[in-house]
Formats: sequence, C-alpha cells, structure tokens
Amino acid sequence: MNTQTGPRDGRPSPDALLKAAGQEGRGKLKIFLGAAPGVGKTYAMLLGAQRLQNEGVDVAIGLVETHGRVETAALLNALDVLPRKPVAYRNRTLMEFDVEGAIARRPKLLIVDELAHSNPPDSAHPKRYQDIKDVLDAGIDVWTAVNIQHLESLSDVVSRITGVKVRETVPDTVIEEADEVMVVDITPGELIERLREGKVYLPENARRAIDKFFTASNLTALRELALRRTADQVDDQMVGFLRRHAIEGPWPTAERLMVCVGGDELSPAVIREAARLATGLSASWVAVHVARFEGAERDPAAGARVDANLRLAERLGAETVHLSGSDLPAEVLRYAKRENITQILCGRSRGNIAARVFRRSLTDQILAQARDIAVHVVAGSAAPVKTSWRWPSALGDISGRAFVVAALAVGAAIGASKLLFYSIGLSNLSMVFLTAVLLCAVNQGTVSAIWAAVLSFLAYNFFFVEPIYTFTVAKPNELFVLMMFLLVAILTGGLAGRVREQSNAATRRAEQTRALYDFTRRLSGSAKLDDVLGAICVQTAHLAKGRAIVLLADGENLSVRKVWPPDDKLGPGEWAAARSAFERRTTTGWGSSTLPNAQYQFRPLKTSRGILGVAGLQPEDFREPLALEAERMLEALIDQAALAIERTMLVDETAKAHALAESERLRSALLSSISHDLRTPLSSILGAVTTLRAFGKRLSESDRDDLQAAIEEEARRLQRFVSNLLDMTRLEAGAIEVKTDWVDVSDAVRSATERIHKAFKQRQVEITIEPGVPLVRGDSSLIEQLVFNLLDNANKYSPPETSLAVHVRRDGTEVVLSVRDQGSGIAKEDLERVFEKFYRSKVHDGRPAGTGLGLAICRGIATAMGGTIRAESPAKDGKGTRLVVRLPAAEAVDGRRGI
Amino acid sequence: MTGLRILVVDDEPQIHRFLRPSLIASGFEVIAVETAAEAIKAAATQAPALIILDLGLPDRDGKEVIREVRAWSKVPIIVLSARDRETEKIAALDLGANDYINKPFGIGELLARVRVALRLSAQEAQETALYRMGGLEINTVIRKVSLNGESVRLTPKEYDLLHILVRNAGRVVTHRQILAAVWGPAHTGDTQYLRVFVGQLRQKIEADLANPAFILTEPGVGYRFADAGE
Repeated sequence: MNTQTGPRDGRPSPDALLKAAGQEGRGKLKIFLGAAPGVGKTYAMLLGAQRLQNEGVDVAIGLVETHGRVETAALLNALDVLPRKPVAYRNRTLMEFDVEGAIARRPKLLIVDELAHSNPPDSAHPKRYQDIKDVLDAGIDVWTAVNIQHLESLSDVVSRITGVKVRETVPDTVIEEADEVMVVDITPGELIERLREGKVYLPENARRAIDKFFTASNLTALRELALRRTADQVDDQMVGFLRRHAIEGPWPTAERLMVCVGGDELSPAVIREAARLATGLSASWVAVHVARFEGAERDPAAGARVDANLRLAERLGAETVHLSGSDLPAEVLRYAKRENITQILCGRSRGNIAARVFRRSLTDQILAQARDIAVHVVAGSAAPVKTSWRWPSALGDISGRAFVVAALAVGAAIGASKLLFYSIGLSNLSMVFLTAVLLCAVNQGTVSAIWAAVLSFLAYNFFFVEPIYTFTVAKPNELFVLMMFLLVAILTGGLAGRVREQSNAATRRAEQTRALYDFTRRLSGSAKLDDVLGAICVQTAHLAKGRAIVLLADGENLSVRKVWPPDDKLGPGEWAAARSAFERRTTTGWGSSTLPNAQYQFRPLKTSRGILGVAGLQPEDFREPLALEAERMLEALIDQAALAIERTMLVDETAKAHALAESERLRSALLSSISHDLRTPLSSILGAVTTLRAFGKRLSESDRDDLQAAIEEEARRLQRFVSNLLDMTRLEAGAIEVKTDWVDVSDAVRSATERIHKAFKQRQVEITIEPGVPLVRGDSSLIEQLVFNLLDNANKYSPPETSLAVHVRRDGTEVVLSVRDQGSGIAKEDLERVFEKFYRSKVHDGRPAGTGLGLAICRGIATAMGGTIRAESPAKDGKGTRLVVRLPAAEAVDGRRGI
Repeated sequence: MTGLRILVVDDEPQIHRFLRPSLIASGFEVIAVETAAEAIKAAATQAPALIILDLGLPDRDGKEVIREVRAWSKVPIIVLSARDRETEKIAALDLGANDYINKPFGIGELLARVRVALRLSAQEAQETALYRMGGLEINTVIRKVSLNGESVRLTPKEYDLLHILVRNAGRVVTHRQILAAVWGPAHTGDTQYLRVFVGQLRQKIEADLANPAFILTEPGVGYRFADAGE
C-alpha cells in the first residue's frame, strides 16, 4: 500500500530532489499567518524587512496597507515603496499592486500584503496570490501576509465558528508550497485589548459585524486553527528535509484518501473534510465521481453541481476522477484497491424515511462491501436546501410531457378496455393498462411510467372494479388484485424506463464517440493545413456551443489562421490571452486563472516537437463553465488537433524539400549542360590553335587546313550557342520588343534558308509557298530567327543526305508554316518536351549536340506574336518530324481588335 | 619515346581533330575511340602506354573505364573533363587515374602531363634513393632532407608527407591518397591535418610562401610537387 517508499538504500528520494531542482531559480515565499486581523502581521513583516535592509538586502514594498496606523507607517518611511498602478473600476480608480513594475524593479525581496486580495476585473489574474506567483517565477523573494480564515479548506470551519461568511479564499496549496510560514501570534485577550485601545483599524460600517467576530471564544478557536495548520506545515518540512537528506525513517505511512463526490449539497462539506484530513495526514487524495452510465446525467443542474464540486476538490489539491459502471459501490472499491487508497470519505444525508427504507445509499453499500479499508462517513446537517431543488424538477414533470403522455395513454387504455369489455366480454383488463404503462416507459421514461401506473390504478379502480364509478372497493380480494396491479405496473414501468434511459445513454455515448471518430478521420484524411484547421475550428465551436479560432505560430508571432464562424475578430484582451497561452503553454482567458475576462479561452497546441500555436474557444454563455464532459472531449480534441497540424506541416515541409531538391537538380543539370556547351567548342579551338602554334611546321598541309577549318566551325558553333542563350534570356525576361511590322512570311523563309545554306552547304531545302498567304503583324527578324531555328533543328536531327521541306499556307485566319525533316522522329511522349529549355533528344551519331535552346526560342517567339507551335511525328511515311507554327494573319488581328 | 602508343577516348570529334596531329607530331602513335566500350577493348588488346580519357562518354561513365582498366592494368590514365565539379575529378583520381586536365586546355599543357605520367610509370619499378630538385635534396635511405646544402629538420609526419609528394612529383596526389598514406586509412576525411602539415612543411622548405615553388595546391583536389622536368 505504501506507494511513496522512503529511501531505504540511503539515497535521497528522487521526488524530493526533483522538487528541490524545480525550485531553483525561483524566488522564496514567506507567509506571515495570523489568526485574525490586528495580530500584527504587517508590522512583523515590515520589521523583518527593515532588519534585512539594514543588513544590505535590496528590499522593496510592492503593496502594504497601513490602515492609518502610525507605527506601521513609520516603518514604511525607511523602505522603498513602489508606485501602485491605477485601475479604473466602476467609475472609481483603484490603486492596485503593479506586478510588471515590481518585476522590472527586480529587488531581492518584495513585500506584498494581503495575500487573499481579489483583483478588479480585467486584471491579468483574478487573485493576488497568482500575481505573487509571477513575481516568484521571476526569481524575486516575496513576503506576504494572510489570515487563517482565508484558507480554502478552513473557510467553512471558520464560518461555522464565527458565523461570518468568508468570501476571499486562498488555495491551501499556496500555503503548502510556501518556503516558510510564520505565525504571528498574540493571545486573544491581548488582541481584544488592542482592539479596545483602537490600535486595530476597522471600517465604520463593518464594526458591528466584526464586534461579533472578535469574541474570546472565536479568537481562541481561530488561533488554534492557525497554530495547528502551521504545525502541520512544519511537520511536512521536516519530512521533506529528511527525505532530501536521505535520513532513515520511520516514515509516516503514505496515506491516500479518496472522497466520493456527488451532486448533493453535502458533497462540498465532505470534500473540505477530506482536504483537512489529507493535509493532516500529509496524504495525497483523489475526488471520485461515480455515475451509472457515462453521459447519463439527465438532470443538467445535477451535472453542473457535480462539476462544481469536483472543481472545488481540484482547488483544494485533489486529483479528480470520473468512474462509471453498473455496480457503483463495486466500481468505487475496485478503483480504491487499484490506487492503493487507504481511506474513503463519503457523505450521508439524513434523507426522508422513504428514501432510507427503499433505497440503500451508495455510502451504505460501500460500508457494507469495503474490506481492509477505512471508511469515514460525514453526516449531513438538516438540509432544507435539498428539497428546494428537488421539487422544481418533480413539478416540472407533473406539468410536463411525462404526465400528459401518461394521462393520454391511460385515457386510451380506458377506452380500449371499455370496448373490449362490451364487445368480447373480457373481464381481466389489467393487461391493457399494463400495456399503457409500458408504452409510457418506452416513450417517455421512468417518471411517465410511474404516473401511468398510478393513473391506471385509479382508473381501473374507478371504471372497472365494483362498485363502478367510485373509488371504493367492495371485495377484499379485488383490493388485493388492485394492489398487486399497482406494484407490478410500477415495477415493470420503472424497469422499462430504465432500459430506455440506458439505451439513450448508450446512443449518446455512441454519438460522442462517433463525433470524435469522425473528427479524427477528417483530420487524418486531409493533407492540407487549411482543411485540418477548418475541421478543428468547426469541432471546437460545436463543443463549446460558441465560436472557435486557431492561431498558429509564425516564428515568434501568432497569426490568426482560421475562425469559426468566419467573421470573428479578436480584441486586445483576447490577443493578450492568446499570447500568454502561447508563451506559458497553459490555458488562459475565460474560465482560467490568467486573464479570465477575455472573451475567449485559449489552449496551447503542443506536440513533442514544441508549441505550434493556440486554439481559442468562446462559449455561448460566459457564466457557465464548460461541463467536465465537454472539457474532456476538448482535451482529446486539442491533442489530436496539435498532432494533425504538425503532420500537415511536416507534409508541407517534405514537399517543399522535395521541390527544392528537384529545382536544385534541374539547376545543376542546366549549369553543367551550359558549361559543357561552352567548353567543348572552346576546347577544340584552344587545342587546335595551340597545336598549330606548337607543331605548325611539322604538321602536314592537310592537317593544318583541317585544324583551321575546325577552329572556324567551332567558333561559329560557339557564336550560335551564345546568341541562342542571349535570345532565350531576353525572351524570358520579356525584354524582346515585338515590333508590329507587316511581315511576309515567305520573305523570312527565303532569308533563313539562305543562312542555312551558308552554314550547311550540302543540305537540300525544298520550299513550297502556296498562293494567297496573307501578311502577319510582327517582327521580321524574329520570324526569320524562328524559321532558321526550325531548319537548324531539322538539319541536326536528320541524316545530311536527306532533304528538308518548308511549307507555307493559309488556314482560315492563320498563316501556317511547317518544317519537315526525314530523321528518326520524336517519341510520342517527348512531343511536348522538345520545346522545354535544355531538352535534347538523345540520338545523334557523333555530330555536334544541339544547345537544347533552339525550339524553346521558337516557342518563345511564336507565343510573343500571338501564335502557337507544335511538333508532329512521324511526319511522312512513318518517319521524320514536322514542326508546325501557326501565326494569326494580319487582317484577323486587326478585325479582332476592331480597327 | 618514339612509337609509344596513346589511346585517346573522347566522344567529341573536334577534340580528336587536334589531338591526333599533335600527338603524332610529338612522336606518339594514336588510337582514337569515342565510347567507353571501345576504350576498354582497345586498352585490353592494343597495349597503350597511356590513356587520355574524357569522363563524359555517351555510353558509360568514364569513371567506369578507369575502374575496369585498373582491375588489370597500371597503364597511366590522364582524365579530360569539361565538368568543373571537383568531386568528379577526385573520384576519378581516387579510382586510380594518374592525373587530370581541365577543358579547355592548351596542347603544351597536355603533352607535359603526358610526359610526366610516362616517366613516373617507368620509375614505378624501383624506388629512387635520392631525389634532387631545385635546391632540395631528399635522401630516402637515411630520411634526411637538405635545402641548398643546409639540413632541414622535419617531423616524421612531415617527412612522410614530403616523401609521397616527391615520389609523385609532377602528378596530382589527392587529399585522400595523402591522408591514407601518411595518417592511415581511418583518417581519409581529416583534411584539416593535411592543411596544417602542408603549411608547416612549406614554412621549412619554401622561400616564398605566397608563391610556393615546390608544393603546389590543386584547389579542392590535392597537391602536386613541382616537376623538375618542366
């Protein structure tokens, strides 16, 4: 059972060391604890501060109320009092503690009085102890003061002792986690004396109420509470010290408490009792709510009360757990056994006699079944509140559908029975009424079924039992049958109703599971970030029954990526909350402890790789906290969402990396292709020239001629390549200015053919120009270049002895120019690629390779003139390639432009 | 050197056009081929004294020719490459090519490399005991180095480094080859050792550190000891 075993091997307990490590770099907190106002906490605190300051410690006063007391004010004179921050609140200006200012000032020790103080709305935190936590996190030591009545777990005890309701409370954990707690103690007599002498400040209007408070018995009780609480704390510190220093036990047995929480009004008291017991035993504790079927909490008010109670337990330091099952006490005890629970606390309300006789409470069942486990039963005091919330719901049922349906069903049963009685003389009509009861149970649930049972009983009696039309029963055996009928009707109706509720609960659960499943499937199905964000927003908005927003990190900044419904805007308060959630990686905004006045609640989207952004939700009703059910769904959803976002981001990154690698590969292929094309002719030229110079005389005449011819050819090849490259660059940069001359395509064809003849003397070119070819608007030199490139290309990819054919004709509003070769043609899949830059067909038997630019330039020119170009292969007789250029005829261009 | 047969492998006919007359004029016989397959066949059947090999061949990568030829022959191979990517050249040299020359090149440069490669392959058989070049004298028997008659003190590693460079004088030795020979095969990636030791060695034997006369840097590839014959 002992889960927190001590360091039997003489080594420090890892938990203790971890805890110590976590506190390094954090400021130390010292709390001055008093039993009541006026014991001199502030005075003691300031006295200590002054002493430290005299020793050379940098002390600053964040906030101290002197309440007009001269001695206290005198102490303040010598200390550095930080300016307060004015905060507007309901037409007044409150002077509040300035957290940022204090952190910026960075004293060694900061004094902030009144730990339990509540900040005005719109502050960063609702409570001062949260401000103090920020200061501690910044590495500044803090001294503060609080009265024992403000401790959350003691607040109800204090109310009971003093009759004064405590509003401002501080969670016990704040005190437990303090590095030092010092009790400022004077005897009750002394305090009453000081009060009488007027040394304790009391506001006029509160004087009378407080007079009742400052009685000797009250003060004695409070003093005892304070001293005991501190003694517990000292005990804890001692144990902590022993653990850290690996000093051998005897250790106190590690107790673990469990408290059963329900929606009843007794639960808060049981929870507080458990908290006190747990603190006293230095035990961890867990608050458990057990329900028959998950999600079957039919009464929303009861569900809300359970949630509120569990939240109270959480505030008091408990872990909270939901259990569900059909056998509640067994479920509770199974959990207790698994979790090594040593003590169980349950509440037991007095209830009315009927409830005690007919229903064994959960507490009774636990008591009966528990073995080897201590069960504490906290008895409730008389609680008139109890019925006050039960009645409305019961009344609601009477006037509600349940009763109406029951009445209608019984009415129908009466009619049917009459009919049966007179038509076929059926005398035993109880089955007809039982059917009505069952129908009510199946359609409307248990309550309706019971109403139907009672109404049936009355109706049966009234209409069918002698004497008819009275409620009296003549024969005793008839009475017995009637009572049996009532019993059977109620039992079967109740059972059927419960079956219906169970099936409803199962349906609801299935719906929830399906919703979550659908959501996950939608997330995993969408590869695009936008779709994922959309799905997250819609689902979150649905859960919160309000609005949702997703903000993603963009480096250090957050930017809104998706909002649902789509027209929402964030105010400055919401932005602050979102940033805070992002930076601290905790929940902020509405319903949290940081910036709770923001209209949204923000939750960090965290994965193992870090934080991706935040998801925000705005509820429909700000007063209602999220139901625990929705809360749990939301947690699962946010986790899934973060993973899905990360996944799409990774997909994006991978795609980008692929694209980058691909473009890098293309770039290096291009570079090596250009460098090869430039270097090869240069090599030939340089090699030939150096050969001529070195061996000029020793070479034969024919060798010398050949080398000189080689130099010329290679220089021309280089020139072609360079000018192609330049043309391409100009075309790509859009720097080619297309002149709009009237151009005769046949002229361009003739001059291009002449140039080809000069370069390749043996090549035959057949030119056919059909009559009636119109002019085109364009740049004559570009069109000539286009034709030349086509011929050059055809020359390259066909055997030298074959001829090339150029054909020009008119086709409607277009001039069609085609160049055909008799080479091996182009593979079908490459027909489009030949126009890509630096694309070269593979086969060329030893003749100089092309630049891979010629056809790309052709396409550039054709496009610039509003035309098209494409390749056809085979062109004729199963071989060769035809390149077809279509340019708009001049009139057509003009016609289109309406000139 | 008359009659030595040189195999020229290049797919560009223009290269053959000037290499053939120059090599013939220098007294070599020339076998000209255009593909890797032809190259391997010619290397095996016609016993060339040296191979001039273009790395970019139409059928296979030129490096594969080196790998195949090196499997059975120590014939010197000089690599021609239009590729300016260092890795290609280094890979070729590490595969066993003896030297490289970047396109475009002058014929004189190529012929000088051809002569160095042929001379070194002739020397390969016996290790010379004494190297003399410039004012530098290296006695490999007693591991002594002197510069202009004065003894130079070298650490053992510096001596090994100088020795491998001198033994291959005129020819490029890759970083990898030097590291493997001096520091061992486990250190072939540690080029920083090399830079430090080459720096130290130059301080001891070079007159002008800005323009080294003995140890020449082949950027990104390796080092070359200046050839006395050039």
